[in-house]
Amino acid sequence: MRTIRNVFRRKLRAFLTISGITIGIFALVVMGAMAEKITLLVDGGTEFYKDKVTVTEGESHGLGGDPMSVEKIRSLENMDEVAVASADISITLEEEMSATFGMPDLITGTDMRGQDLETFPISFADGRDLTTGDLGKVIIGSDLVKKLDGRVGNTITVRGREFEVVGVLNKTFSMPDKTVYMNLSDAQDIFYETLPEFIRPNLDKTNLATGGTIYPTPGTDPDQLADKITAMDNNLEAVGPQKFQDNIAATTGIFTMIVYGVALISLVVGGLSVINTMTMSVYERTREIGIRKALGASDGMIIRQFLGESGFIGLMGGLLGLGFGAITISLLNKWGEASGNQIFLLTNRLVIGSVVFAVFLGVASGLYPAWHAARMNPVQALRHE
Amino acid sequence: MVILTANNLHKRYQLGKNNFVHALRGASLEVVKGEMVAIMGPSGSGKSTIMHLMGCLDRPDEGHVQLSGRRVDNLSGRELTKIRGKEVGFIFQGFNLIPTLSAADNVSLAAEYAGTSRRKARDAADAALADVGMGERLNHKPSELSGGEQQRVAIARALVNDPRIVLGDEPTGDLDTETSDEIIEMMRKINEDNDTTFVLVTHNPEISDACDRVIHMRDGQVTDS
Ligand SMILES: Nc1ncnc2c1ncn2[C@@H]1O[C@H](COP(=O)(O)OP(=O)(O)O)[C@@H](O)[C@H]1O
Ligand SMILES: [Mg+2]
Repeated sequence: MRTIRNVFRRKLRAFLTISGITIGIFALVVMGAMAEKITLLVDGGTEFYKDKVTVTEGESHGLGGDPMSVEKIRSLENMDEVAVASADISITLEEEMSATFGMPDLITGTDMRGQDLETFPISFADGRDLTTGDLGKVIIGSDLVKKLDGRVGNTITVRGREFEVVGVLNKTFSMPDKTVYMNLSDAQDIFYETLPEFIRPNLDKTNLATGGTIYPTPGTDPDQLADKITAMDNNLEAVGPQKFQDNIAATTGIFTMIVYGVALISLVVGGLSVINTMTMSVYERTREIGIRKALGASDGMIIRQFLGESGFIGLMGGLLGLGFGAITISLLNKWGEASGNQIFLLTNRLVIGSVVFAVFLGVASGLYPAWHAARMNPVQALRHE
Repeated sequence: MVILTANNLHKRYQLGKNNFVHALRGASLEVVKGEMVAIMGPSGSGKSTIMHLMGCLDRPDEGHVQLSGRRVDNLSGRELTKIRGKEVGFIFQGFNLIPTLSAADNVSLAAEYAGTSRRKARDAADAALADVGMGERLNHKPSELSGGEQQRVAIARALVNDPRIVLGDEPTGDLDTETSDEIIEMMRKINEDNDTTFVLVTHNPEISDACDRVIHMRDGQVTDS
């Protein structure tokens, strides 16, 4: 109570200083929520890749890549190290690649040969898993429910074709949230029509894939397997756990650092304004400090008093910044929900971390002014007018 | 019994590089327990400075200060802080209370600084304020109190830890005559009822008349006591 009253002794200045921290924490929360979303997406990828290898041909990178043959993928099963090689088609859900943030929504068709070996944890919010016989049926990720109006039993339109939704996945905070899963042959029908007309006659639709998912035999190192596949056929691009880290995790790591860097810069400004405010406050209360010392306040008590005040400024700024940030995030996500494009994720660690950081920033910014106050000679302080 | 001794105190303040003020030039005095003493003298004669040294707010350059038989001029800052909290009560002129705190909080703060728990400090503050006739205005802020009332709160605050000695630096300096007389009367009554020792720097002849003894200072020395 005493702390609060001292902080609000100069109401406008307290308001401005708290605003400074609020803006910084707001930036931290909003930008951090963006980074958290990406981090979780990448964590999901790391989890997915930890025990397998994906294979694509030519320049493609799995997303709407060059066609390759199912046969070629299957032939990898001849290797001793390969347990199962499943053929997949991955293309974007939207025909036109719109400028989206992060990853686009996907259609993934698979022959499900690796279903029993898949370790990536997926569970169903509603409905059931897909089986090989489920032609014309799909399961969809949780982010797509709103966008496609895809409840179990509903019929949805995917690239101009109608599909029945048989299952909805629980949220994974990763790629499956933005994916429509179907049988390979359904995906082949869709993919075939995306290809230029002049090459279609040369292709066997049932032999079409965009890549393969290779499940190694127990005891095989997926990174070594990836190297071996590439060495065997240098038209193939094989990505194992390490390569995923190098390609994706490393670049998103830099992005995350930039995002937090921007937020931190605005927090430095907020911290400086706390230093300024506390210094002025200490100066204005010089005589009060003298009186407190005359009454027997120790240096530690004076320091605690001023750190309490600057920590309180930090706490207020932190809570307000978090509040405004959370509101902004939920509005933007609500707005993005219709397009399946929720790019913010306010995690618990971000909530707690931002407030703790704000208090820490307040206390740290108060250190010098508080120390200065504690160090004052009481006689000089009492003579101050 | 002598409670306070100042012996041959010197204090210089540096103003510029080779520019000193010799605020005290060998000032000595003694105060006996239960006395109410006035210190008078022209402005700049070192009255506040000697009060500060006797109240352990600062150390002399030369000379000794003894408080109840114990030398205090050579103690560490930490020990001086403790003595200020427990053994000395201060009353200053003018702005003297902490403006954001209520009367009760101003008084209980002094008790908390001396190590009393918050709850006990509050009880002691209420009692001390009642003793100075401020029992009805515990929760008023200084800005809501008259000058005389503020000075009563300051007296309650000086007394709350039951100190050995109360030092006042022009405690009636900002008050009108009538209020000033009330404050003097109150201090005198406390002095007589509780045997509390008072040393009061003042220009006010009403105070010196009410005191047992007057110490005169001039040019940093005690001229007669
Ligand atoms: N902290 C200080 N710094 C510089 N000069 C001081 C300080 N304290 C007191 N003085 C000087 O010392 C002299 C005595 O001051 P003081 O003890 O306050 O006198 P009084 O209280 O009798 O008016 C004055 O000339 C004053 O300006
Ligand atoms: Mg003076």
